Amino acid sequence: MTDAVSDLSRAIPKGTSLDTPFRLLCGAAATLLLVALGGVLVSLAIGGWPAFHKFGFAFFTTSHWNPVTDVYGAAGPIVGTIVSAILALAMSLPVAFGVAVFLTEFCPPILRKPIGVAVELLAGVPSIVYGMWGLFVFAPFFAEKVQIPLMSAAPPGSIWETLTSGIPNGSGVLSASIILAIMILPYMAAMFRVLFHNTPPPLRESAYALGATPLEVVMSVTLPHVRRSAVGAVMLGLGRALGETMAVTFIIGNAHGFPKSLFDSGSTIASTIANEFAEATSDMHTSALVALGFVLFLITFSVLAIARALLGSAKEV
Amino acid sequence: MTTSLQSVEKALIVEAPAAETIKLETQDLSFYYGDHKSLHEVSIPFADKAVTALIGPSGCGKSTLLRALNRIYNLYPGHRAEGQIILDGKDILARGADIAGLRTKVGMVFQKPTPFPMSIYDNVAFGVRLYENISKAELDNRVEEALRRAALWDEVKDKLKRPGTGLSGGQQQRLCVARGVAVRPEVLLLDEPASALDPISTAKLEETITQLKQDHTIVIVTHNMGQAARISDYTAFMYLGRLVEFGRTEQVFTTPRAKRTQDYVTGRFG
Amino acid sequence: MDIKRISRTLANTVFIGFCFLVTFIALAALAAILWSLIGQGFKGIDLNVFTKDTPAPGSTGGLRNAILGSLMLCGFAMLGAAVVGVLAGTWLSEYGKESPYARVVRFMNDVLLSAPSILVGLFVYELMVRPLHGFSGFAGAVALALIAAPVVTRATEDVLNLQPTALREAGIALGAPRWVTIRKVIWRSAGGGLLTGLMLAFARISGETAPLLFTALNNQFFNWNMTKPMSNLPVVIFNYALTPYDDWRRLAWVGALLITVAVLAVNTLVRAISSEGDK
Repeated sequence: MTDAVSDLSRAIPKGTSLDTPFRLLCGAAATLLLVALGGVLVSLAIGGWPAFHKFGFAFFTTSHWNPVTDVYGAAGPIVGTIVSAILALAMSLPVAFGVAVFLTEFCPPILRKPIGVAVELLAGVPSIVYGMWGLFVFAPFFAEKVQIPLMSAAPPGSIWETLTSGIPNGSGVLSASIILAIMILPYMAAMFRVLFHNTPPPLRESAYALGATPLEVVMSVTLPHVRRSAVGAVMLGLGRALGETMAVTFIIGNAHGFPKSLFDSGSTIASTIANEFAEATSDMHTSALVALGFVLFLITFSVLAIARALLGSAKEV
Repeated sequence: MTTSLQSVEKALIVEAPAAETIKLETQDLSFYYGDHKSLHEVSIPFADKAVTALIGPSGCGKSTLLRALNRIYNLYPGHRAEGQIILDGKDILARGADIAGLRTKVGMVFQKPTPFPMSIYDNVAFGVRLYENISKAELDNRVEEALRRAALWDEVKDKLKRPGTGLSGGQQQRLCVARGVAVRPEVLLLDEPASALDPISTAKLEETITQLKQDHTIVIVTHNMGQAARISDYTAFMYLGRLVEFGRTEQVFTTPRAKRTQDYVTGRFG
Repeated sequence: MDIKRISRTLANTVFIGFCFLVTFIALAALAAILWSLIGQGFKGIDLNVFTKDTPAPGSTGGLRNAILGSLMLCGFAMLGAAVVGVLAGTWLSEYGKESPYARVVRFMNDVLLSAPSILVGLFVYELMVRPLHGFSGFAGAVALALIAAPVVTRATEDVLNLQPTALREAGIALGAPRWVTIRKVIWRSAGGGLLTGLMLAFARISGETAPLLFTALNNQFFNWNMTKPMSNLPVVIFNYALTPYDDWRRLAWVGALLITVAVLAVNTLVRAISSEGDK
């Protein structure tokens, strides 16, 4: 065009010189996330080193945790973490599965949306609320209606007596697991629901067209279709249960030894750190707590890594 | 099959524009998506202030060719072009070619309207503001001029501050044309610009293109034979990544030389 | 044949019954929690809650310092998380894409997304509290930011990936530098989605307790000073719930109610915004 501004003045659009800095800035932000995760690992390893160094393997195998004599064996909280999380998962999984199936297969359409939304919203309720409810509402109820009857009904000398021994005050390993189970329930149910929902309708419809019952459709079409992601979702739920602090700390009883029964007090890694860290009495105490954190990191990282690998690109809710 | 493929290997250039009117030209242009070669040594001349239509069945490489002409493919790693694309006597594929300068000389309008999430005014001013520091009054003039060229001014002059996304599909597409011409490019690339539009909007857009030809070199990819016949001066028929026939539009549509061209323009395959 | 059919029908009936039953149990348990929370929380709520600071046992008081402290901690945390998260999400979507390094970052971000928050607290303790010899609001905000940033990153990447490719190309075709296209076109086009991600992250951190226990700690009084320990709702709830004093327990319930209502409100708003966007 005749009136075009000369090529020289137009050649370089404004802001070109900032293009590379912007890309690097974005890359730096992404790297920062990586560094943060690495930083968590390294700082926990360094902070926990004195305890690992002093107690060696005994840190993992003994359950003697005593801030007064400055001797720390972490088997109690480690076992407590794993046991409470697995118990919670065992209780939560069938319920979450049932809820998701209910919502996708049986729920009247009018209720489908409200219940689905309620489940998803509840997944966002802060865990401290579950903990408080456990302490003030659930524990007294549980002690009176479950623990005392079960304990008095247990035949002396039987395995039942061993499992139900302890002080019937409503707290303990089983109570903590139940609260954890309730807490991860909406989370897992919501994830299952999304997975079931994403199963292509023609798959399910063709099974129904063959005369399959809902049970058969779920078991032989829907579940196999989402198998991988479903296991991933379960692992995510497990990861949450393992690392959860507040829902557990209120109600597990906070005893350092091995729990001797389902009703006995216990502790998890997270509850021990939450209870003791701010008031740690000595450097070794602090170090032992950080070392516990390191162990928790390794456990949850493995579980979460497996979960993410299985879930692939499926979205978390 | 083999024989028919070999027979198209040498493209038929029936009537090339006179050398002095050639604005833009590809010479033995090949294009690769990773290892896949999707354009095979295509040489096409594009005449100044004329419309050249690229036609051919889906996957024939016409869009690929268009996207090479302003090097938009640079966005994607693994996409690369070989050969030469000569704009005003300079090879834009050459090392060190001025890409930003190229993009100011070559504007592009896409298949679906792409209004930016801002006002109509800001949409048109977007490109201008990138390159020039001009006064508000001058910018107003540029916006009006561009909207007039795109035959949109009368429809939007009272709502320049409204979001561009609020316009109808046809208006959005003409807004994108206005945005493209506001930076005063010399070449306009149109990638099936009417494929998402209704017949009335399409007719308006075609009118716009015909007017724009007075100042611009226009290359348009289209699926619509009628459209190509109506608005273009030259037509290139492509098939399987190769140029089959190139000539004046009347010639390609009325007396095609290659059998394949004849089959395609008469609707026997497509 | 008949026996087979009967057993199939029976199994299916049992299955349907199971699904109904567990859904009922689940909803009942969750309703029970909300019921106690609302009952206990509303019982304790009064004007003092918003106008007075946390009291000594036996005297009247409120949660003013904790509410304001929580807002400040979350505010500062979101500032950091928004910058890091949006930039990192942009990098993953616009630059890194499927490169090996981007895959690693994406994977680690997803792990960080569900990592135990108490470990983030420990990390920040080792990083800031111990070297600087003191708990501080800043340490708390950093811990919360580290929890929020992965949420923002993930949401940003997801929403940017939804923006049409042609929009990016249209910007580039006008000669706009990549970053101008991202800033003026892509971010703006994704605006609602970006905001949603930020809100989700805010909801996520506003109830976090564990990472604050040994970073921001607590403060019986109100202060604006981020370099000092800072009062915040979750830690006040934690401390007060575990005491034998009725006043304090009452305030703990009120605090829990406030947080839950805030979180649910934000999440509901997000839902409303995104369903609006679907239309």
